[in-house]
Amino acid sequence: MGNIMDIKMAENILRIRFSQIIINERYKNNEFKIPIHLALGHEAIAASIDAIMDENDVLVLHHRNIHYNLARAKTLKAQLDEYYLKKEGLAKGQLGSMNLANEAENIVYTSSILGNNLAVASGLALGKKVRGSKGVVVVTTGDGAIEEGSFYENLLFLKSNELPALILIENNEWSLATHIKERRCTINIDKFAQSVDAKYEKLSGNDSFKYVERLIELKELALLNKTPVCVEVELTTLGSWYMKKKGYPNGKFINYHAGPAPTINLSEGPVIKESNEDPVYVLKTYFEEEKFTEISDKVLMLLEEKIR
Amino acid sequence: MTYYELINQIIRKKVFETKTIVLFGQNIDAGSCLSGLTRNLKVQENSLIINTPNSENSLCGIGFGLMLSNVASVFFMKQQDFLLLGIDHLVNTFNFIRLKKPSASFTIMNIVVDSGYEGPQSCLNNLADFCSISRTPGFTITNKIDAEQIINSQLVSPGFRIISVSQRLANKDVIETEKIFSRSDDTLFKYTEGNDATIVCFNFTFPQGQELYKKLKNKNINSSLFSVNTPLPIDWNEIIQDVKKTGNIVIIDDSKSSNLSCDNLLVEVMRECKLSNEIVVKRKLDDSLLVPNPDTLIIDYEGIIGKLTASMKQKLCR
Repeated sequence: MGNIMDIKMAENILRIRFSQIIINERYKNNEFKIPIHLALGHEAIAASIDAIMDENDVLVLHHRNIHYNLARAKTLKAQLDEYYLKKEGLAKGQLGSMNLANEAENIVYTSSILGNNLAVASGLALGKKVRGSKGVVVVTTGDGAIEEGSFYENLLFLKSNELPALILIENNEWSLATHIKERRCTINIDKFAQSVDAKYEKLSGNDSFKYVERLIELKELALLNKTPVCVEVELTTLGSWYMKKKGYPNGKFINYHAGPAPTINLSEGPVIKESNEDPVYVLKTYFEEEKFTEISDKVLMLLEEKIR
Repeated sequence: MTYYELINQIIRKKVFETKTIVLFGQNIDAGSCLSGLTRNLKVQENSLIINTPNSENSLCGIGFGLMLSNVASVFFMKQQDFLLLGIDHLVNTFNFIRLKKPSASFTIMNIVVDSGYEGPQSCLNNLADFCSISRTPGFTITNKIDAEQIINSQLVSPGFRIISVSQRLANKDVIETEKIFSRSDDTLFKYTEGNDATIVCFNFTFPQGQELYKKLKNKNINSSLFSVNTPLPIDWNEIIQDVKKTGNIVIIDDSKSSNLSCDNLLVEVMRECKLSNEIVVKRKLDDSLLVPNPDTLIIDYEGIIGKLTASMKQKLCR
């Protein structure tokens, strides 16, 4: 690894990771009035989407959007200011976290309501068709939101009207404190997509370099065939911890959903988990230790300089 | 010409004049085309007419997505009840969109099934509730004057609004009348000027209000006739000034909402005016509305005439 595009990808992933850890440090100090959903562990897909988007593509986000906003804007300062609800913020302090959009970076709509953004994405795709504009609509959602009827409605609408779109389903298996197995039967998204003759692809492993290659192909496929493509992304939201509780000798598992992640600390560096569940760990395997440290230190230094 | 034929004619002209527009909804270009409301719609090149799947929640959001794409759209809806499925978008999506102050237009035009005998469902007549929950501009159409003004100025103008039309009036001859004035924001219309009583119609009650006006006129009682074509409270000044002159107000509202702006008007009028009569005709919201019934707002015309006649006599004696 050493070409400029690879370095840029690495910098983006590390920027998203460090930015979130810095936000988390301030969150732990009770500096924010607004609720923030960190997306530690979601960096690979965010950086990959940023890498494949061109000026004609638009991105429509859901409540856990911090990673996409950081990936697109490539600045922590404006996002922090937004979280502090300052006029200098990314959205002039008007949107906060769960609705944060950034038109300048083609993030045109973000919803805090599960499944809500899918319909707006359909409207945007229809708008592109009517206006004859190029590009694809990329809409993010999760394993919780696909339980909403709007997921079906919009897959149906997009397919019926020959509208290209990438529907990214971030599957972290959790809806707040409830695991999939605790709340529902399995949804075979592949078969679900097949039922309306839409395409399906699963991405796993948190490898941005591989994700980008495949996402470029899927984007082309969506545009060429004028079809929605469901892309299920297997990932883990890092930041879980074990709470001391009577009856739980090893502590009770607490899945990270929102708010500060108490066990994540800036002093421990960018890698949170030494496994493929951590996109930064996966990224690190592509680089010599020294080179990785050099990129990592540089990214952190620049971030800290800008927010000082 | 019937009420729907007229509305259809105005819509067809307006949408065809619009350069880029998407008209969508279930069966809008098939079958009866929503009882004729959307019959023979034509659009220019680069515009679309879409018979959509039955996905009302998403269809509301799609209109907002089109707005963000700077494309005007109208979502025609066969009955107001269906809009219940879209409330998330009417509130949450619109809250985001309105911060952006988009230049495109999105209108939901729904039919209020007020023709009766529908039973416990499918008979929603509650525009005020939709508009109130989302602070959305809303309009009702009752006659030729307001149809022309509201559709021409609102249907494809920047922003979002809901326009409701009545199924009860669908095949009736459209009321052709003359107006004295109307507000430029299409919320208030005044049709007659009189010194004896002020009649204020809400929702779809203009026909009843006009009927009352005529009956009073036959008894030499001259009344001012207003129609409030929006369900949210407005500045009531013109009406209050009129009531100060007449001393009698008759309010008619056939909405099934408990959230009535006519109550707001009444409070203002009672605070500002010396009244001989305040007569309010509105629905009794009880379980009788839940079973198939004619869904007619009962107006005791003779009783109202009697009260106003007595009041006129007292005035003469003074």
